[in-house]
Amino acid sequence: MTAPVGRSLGLLLLNQASLVLFAGVVLTFGLMSPAFLQPANASNILIQPASTGILAVGMTFVLLTAGVDLSVGAIMFVAAAVGGKLILGGWPFGGVLAVMILIGVLYGAMNAWFITQFAILAFVVTLATRYFGRGLGLRITETRAMNLPESFYELGAARVLGVPLPILVFALIVVVAHVVLTRTPFGRQVYAVGADVEAARKAGVRTRAVLFAVYVICGFCAAAAGMVALSQAPAVSPTFGNNREFMAIAAAVLGGTSLFGGRGAVFPGTVLGAVLIQTIENGLTILNVNSYLYPLITSGVIFIAVLLDATRCRVLAHVNRRKIFVETGS
Amino acid sequence: MTTRPDFPDPVCDAHRGRASVLARLDLRALASLVLAGLLTGCGPSADPGPTRSGAASRPLTVGVNFETLQTEYWVAGFEAIKTELKARDIRVLESVADGDANRQLQQVRTFITRRVDGIILVPKDAKTCIPAIKAANEAGIPIVLFNRPAAAAEGVRSVAVVADNRKLTRETVAFMVEQARQTGRKHKAMVVVGDLGDINAIGRKDGFYDAVQGQEAVVEVVAEVPSEWNQEKARAGVVNALQAHPDISFIFSSSDFLFPSIVAALKSANRYHKIGAPGHVILGGFDGDATAYQMLVEGYLDATGVQDVYFEAEQCVQALLDQLAGKEVPPVILDPGFVIHQGNLEEKKARMWGAHVARR
Repeated sequence: MTAPVGRSLGLLLLNQASLVLFAGVVLTFGLMSPAFLQPANASNILIQPASTGILAVGMTFVLLTAGVDLSVGAIMFVAAAVGGKLILGGWPFGGVLAVMILIGVLYGAMNAWFITQFAILAFVVTLATRYFGRGLGLRITETRAMNLPESFYELGAARVLGVPLPILVFALIVVVAHVVLTRTPFGRQVYAVGADVEAARKAGVRTRAVLFAVYVICGFCAAAAGMVALSQAPAVSPTFGNNREFMAIAAAVLGGTSLFGGRGAVFPGTVLGAVLIQTIENGLTILNVNSYLYPLITSGVIFIAVLLDATRCRVLAHVNRRKIFVETGS
Repeated sequence: MTTRPDFPDPVCDAHRGRASVLARLDLRALASLVLAGLLTGCGPSADPGPTRSGAASRPLTVGVNFETLQTEYWVAGFEAIKTELKARDIRVLESVADGDANRQLQQVRTFITRRVDGIILVPKDAKTCIPAIKAANEAGIPIVLFNRPAAAAEGVRSVAVVADNRKLTRETVAFMVEQARQTGRKHKAMVVVGDLGDINAIGRKDGFYDAVQGQEAVVEVVAEVPSEWNQEKARAGVVNALQAHPDISFIFSSSDFLFPSIVAALKSANRYHKIGAPGHVILGGFDGDATAYQMLVEGYLDATGVQDVYFEAEQCVQALLDQLAGKEVPPVILDPGFVIHQGNLEEKKARMWGAHVARR
C-alpha cells in the first residue's frame, strides 16, 4: 500500500508544481529574513505584480492558442504616451482612460487582422508591430519623459473597501478571464484551437474569429496594464513598457501555461506566476543581495518551474499510457 | 590631412559615369563663379566652412549614428552634435540603430559608402562596435565615439569623448555625504543601479561605493536596487527596500530618469519632503535631465551629477576636424561634468541640458 500512496503524493506535488515552488520560495525568504513575512510586505507583493499580472492574463489567452504577442510592451507605451499627452492637455480623466483602452483594443485588432487574414506567424507580426509601437511612442513623446499630474498617483494609492485599487483591477480582470476560459463556449474554443487548430476547425469552431478575439483581449489587457503601471509610477519615460512582454510570458509559463498551446489557466496559474516573480524580486531586495545575482536566481527559479512541468508531463504520459497485455497461449 | 584609399564600391562604380558629368558641371559652375567674381571686383566672400582638400573642394559631410534615442539624454546629445556641426557649416547624415549592433554596423558601412568625411558614433556597447570602427579605419575615415568608449582591440583606432561616470558620481555622492554629515546623525542609504550590461551604469555604481567607503559613521548602505533602466522595476525595488528598511534616508539614483519611480515610492511611504523639512530623504542622481532640474527648483533634490552634453558635442566635432587636419588627438577626451546643487543652481543651470529641455 505504501508505494501507491507515495506515487499519488508525488503526482499531486507534480500537478501543483507552481504552488510547491511558490511555497518553497516564501519559506526560504521567510527563514532568511523576518521582515519578509510581515503583513505589510505581503500587501506589497500583491500590489506590485498587478501591472505585469494583467499583461500576463492577456498573454495567457494568446499562448493558449499556441500564439505569442511580442507587442504588449509597445501597446502599453503607445497607450500611456497618448494618455499622458491628453491628460497634460486637460482632458477629463475618464475620457483619457477610455482612449487608452480603445488604443489597446485597436492595436490588438491590428495584430489579429494581419495574423488571421494573411496567415502570417504571430511571432513575425507582433515583432514588427512591437518596433512600430515603440517608434510611434517615441514620436508621440518626442523622447521626453512626461511627468503626469497627481491624479494618476492618487488613483494608484486609492483603496476601495480597504483594498488597493491596483489589486482590485487585477482581481477583476483575473475573475472575468477565469470565468471566460472555464465557463463559456468561447473559453473551450480557445483551448481547442490551441490543442489542434485543424481539428477545431473541422469540429465547427470559427478558428479565425477565436484567434482574432484573443489578440484583441491581449491588447485590452496591455492597455489596462499600462494604466495600472502609470498609477503606480506616474511618468511616461521613453523606456516605458520596454521588454515587459518577456515578463508576461515568463509569468504565464511559470504558472503552467504551455508555449505550444492548449494547456494553462489564468487562475491560479498565471496569477501565481506573476506573484512568484515579484516575490523573488522582493525577497532579494529585502536580503540586499548583490545586483548581479538577481537575474541568475530569477532565471534559476523559472528553469526549475519549467523542469518540473516537463517532468510532470512525462510522468503523466507514462501513468496514463494505454496498457496492452498480450495473452500468450499455452 | 588624412587620405582615403580607393576601394571597390559597387554603388559608386555604378554612378561613376553620372558623377563625372556632375563634376564637369561643377567645374563649369566654378569657372562661372570665378568670372563673376572678377567682374564684380572680388567683393567680400562668405566663409565656406571646413572643406575637404582636393581639386573640387566641397563642404565636409559627417555621419552621426546613435545606438538609440530612447532617453532624453541621447536626444539632447543628438541635437547638440547636429547643432555643433551645422554651426560649422558641416553637412550631417544621421541614422539610429534602435539598439541593434548589426544594424549599427550596416549603417556605418552606408556612411562609408556615401564617402562621409567623418563619423560620430554612439556604440551599442564597448565590444560590438569594433567591426564598425575597423571598417571606418580601413576606409581612412576618422571616427569619434560619443559618451561610450570602445574596448581595447589591436589595430583599432578611435577617439572617445566620455563623461567620467565614476569620478562625477563620486563627487556627487561625496556632496550628499557632506549633507548627511551636517544633519549630525547616521543615515541608512540605498543605491538604485542601472543596467549591469552598461559600462556607464557600472562606473556610477563604482563611483557611489568609492564615495561612501570609509564614511560608515555617516552613511550605511543597506539596499542596492537593480533597475535594468526600467522605471517599473525601479519603483518596485525602492518600495521593497523601504519596506525592509523604513528608516532609509539617503538615496542615490544612477540616472535622473528613474526619479519619478523613486518619488512615487517615497510618496507611498509618506517620505517625500522638501530639503530642510523633517523627514527629508537626501536625494542625489546622475545625468542632469529635465525632471532633476524641476526637482532642484522645487527644493526636493539635493544634487545631481551633470554630463556636459554641449562640451561633449563640441569636443566630438573638434576631434574629427583635428584628425582631418592631421593633428594628434588623444584616444580619450574626458568630460569632467559638474555637480549641481541648491548652492550653485543659478550659476550652473545654463550648462545643465535638462534645464534647456524643461524650458522648451
